[in-house]
Amino acid sequence: MTDQTQPGGSIQQGGVVGTGPSPSWSSIARSEHLIERPGQADAPAGTDQTHTIVVLANDRHGALDRIIGVLRRRRARMQGFAIGRNELPGMARITIVMNDSEVAVEQLVEQLRKIVDVQHVENLTSGQIVARELALIKVNSNESQYSTEIIELAHHFGAHIVDVTQQTLTLEVTGSEEKVEKFVDSLQTFGIREVARTGRVAMIRGVV
Amino acid sequence: MNVAATITQKPEGTKIHQAHRSAEAIEARELTGSQILCEALTREGVEFLFGYPGGAIMPFYDALTSYPTLHHVLVRHEQAAAHAADGYARATGKVGVCVATSGPGATNLVTGLATAYMDSTPIIAITGQVARPFIGRDAFQETDILGVTQPITKHNFLVQRVEDVADIVHEAFKLARGGRPGPVVIDVPKDVQFSKTQYRSSASISSIERFRATRAPHPSAEAITRAAELIKGAQRPLIMSGHGVILANAYEELLAFAEKTNIPVITTLLGLSAFPETHPLALGMPGMHGPAHVNRAIGESDLIIGVGLRFDDRVTGKVSEFAPHARFIHIDIDPSEMHKVKRAAVPIVADAKEALTRLIEAVEQGDNGTWINEMRSWEAENSERSASIQRNQEYPDPTSILEAIRAETKDEAIVVTDVGQHQMWTARHYTWTRPNSHITSGGLGTMGFALPAAMGVKMGKPDALVWAVAGDGGIQMNIQELATLRQEGITVKVAIMNNGYLGMVRQWQHFFHNGNYSETPITGPDYVKLADAYGLTGIRVTKRQDVEAAVHQAMNTEGTVLIEFVIESEANVYPMVAPGSAITNMIEESPDHD
Repeated sequence: MTDQTQPGGSIQQGGVVGTGPSPSWSSIARSEHLIERPGQADAPAGTDQTHTIVVLANDRHGALDRIIGVLRRRRARMQGFAIGRNELPGMARITIVMNDSEVAVEQLVEQLRKIVDVQHVENLTSGQIVARELALIKVNSNESQYSTEIIELAHHFGAHIVDVTQQTLTLEVTGSEEKVEKFVDSLQTFGIREVARTGRVAMIRGVV
Repeated sequence: MNVAATITQKPEGTKIHQAHRSAEAIEARELTGSQILCEALTREGVEFLFGYPGGAIMPFYDALTSYPTLHHVLVRHEQAAAHAADGYARATGKVGVCVATSGPGATNLVTGLATAYMDSTPIIAITGQVARPFIGRDAFQETDILGVTQPITKHNFLVQRVEDVADIVHEAFKLARGGRPGPVVIDVPKDVQFSKTQYRSSASISSIERFRATRAPHPSAEAITRAAELIKGAQRPLIMSGHGVILANAYEELLAFAEKTNIPVITTLLGLSAFPETHPLALGMPGMHGPAHVNRAIGESDLIIGVGLRFDDRVTGKVSEFAPHARFIHIDIDPSEMHKVKRAAVPIVADAKEALTRLIEAVEQGDNGTWINEMRSWEAENSERSASIQRNQEYPDPTSILEAIRAETKDEAIVVTDVGQHQMWTARHYTWTRPNSHITSGGLGTMGFALPAAMGVKMGKPDALVWAVAGDGGIQMNIQELATLRQEGITVKVAIMNNGYLGMVRQWQHFFHNGNYSETPITGPDYVKLADAYGLTGIRVTKRQDVEAAVHQAMNTEGTVLIEFVIESEANVYPMVAPGSAITNMIEESPDHD
């Protein structure tokens, strides 16, 4: 979990430990003048929520630095940061999942729009969205009965086996963060060696 | 001594004068990256470059001598180059340009870039970078200046191909001055400066065009109507104007708007000189060192029309108690300023000039006589206690110094201040009447700003009477620029208010740290000898009755003159609001003068 007092917008280890707000969030005392400034990421307890923001940026030198820089300066509590291509050449689509108050997010969106290489920013939080995550999970499979159980479980979650060795099975699962989390949880008994999650990518349903 | 006669002019002929060449002729042949840089700067109408050469920028300096219209001013420290470019930009509204080499040259610009960023002034910094194959390998004098300046620039570029030089320069100028202005860095690797190509500049850069289109928005008709309704219904309205009015050149519009609606005008530190302080509707400066009646008016107001300001913490004090009864109409060109500090009932994202023009049409004639009279009565009640400095008959006091400068320049000076007590005294007591006659580092509060910035102001406005007012702390931060002033033959009159302390810090120690004057007593050189050593004129004033004569002498001496005014050592700036407290809760001067 992100340490509240740390200035950096470090990316949390996503769903393995839960994607909800940090438990320390409401319990840590914040100085009064920070609470009353609506633009601060340190919003009063109870006003924060998880936001999904999509940023389309020119894939140019330094563009990503500036996006990260804004988030760092605001001490945004990031839960996911997924970057990849979209349908346009020379563009990057970034999905940011973060915890912040509503007012502060409004300002964050405007701050992101000020970045020269940012073409478009959308806060998907209130809309009807499709959100998915992909995870690769490497589990122990050295005992033969394990393999059968794992394969059954994978089938149940719609996961694929992408690599097999004598000691391990590597599985690929796609779905909502809840589903990915559940799958990871149910694999715990076999001994998880490694988990790689992409973080959320999202888009609005239907025609915008 | 006749200073002018002894000034060494830049020897003529050091620049190779070339016959006028057409753009086509230039574009027909191959040029080096450095030549393209110079050509692009010339096409942008650049007159002055403030800079300092070094290894990674040498090819550029080599090309520079072939471009005689680019007047390079050799500063003595790169920080001064950035401040000079900033001063030039603030005084002229044009883009200021500074140049430095890689590594230490570039990092020395950082404070100046941050200053320009905080105060939204358009400057461009051209920095040399190590050759491309060496980038990222800890080469000699390599610094990742893009990384370093990322949070304090509007945008920055690393030029990766010589073919991009012209486009990037033109793009940088558009970015620096478009929308909310700000600093832009162009980092040019040494081998790119040497590489050759033809001068090519594409007609438009799509991303930048889009950026400009969305960043210079027009006020919506709905917002203007809604604002006019709020103004009509307000009983206790106030206008708060900031730097945006000056940046947008909206003096006349502000005046017309205030006069039509009869709404009193408050000017923030960077808004000073946006509205004439001799006008009956002028109220004064708000916030930490504003007079009590201004802060009281804000406390009582039911509508605040903010024009081109960002409600900085030095203006608002404790936000929850700032203008608790007011609704806000907020005009700013930067959408991210909306609701940042106070939620605006009517946010108007627009250039101040355009928004005010539309508002003038939409509003009805106003009166506000009762409200104005009420404020004037508070002013009368408080005038004694609100005076930020007590008149001193023995020492030169700040008010008399400022009055002498104003009288001697017939109110035509551009006054550039540094940071600290003298800055607040000047802000409060100069009586600003001419548009854009006050220049200071407001947002970042950069000590050492005044002298180099005044140099840039004078370069941009050669006919103006330029005064730099500084404390004995700040002046020593960039004192080396006296040599630049001398070499270039630039005339700036410098008033140093010397109290032997880092005065504002000492004042805070007095109020908030039990008078523990930790590391605030400071000594300085003999300023008269110092001026002489630099080939300039120095005057020392220790008595109140000599102030006017000294200022008169300075004005009648050619070249740069330094006047050291030895002021009372422990005078405070009154009134004062403790940081984080409500602005209506002011520390005022006690009758026994502490």
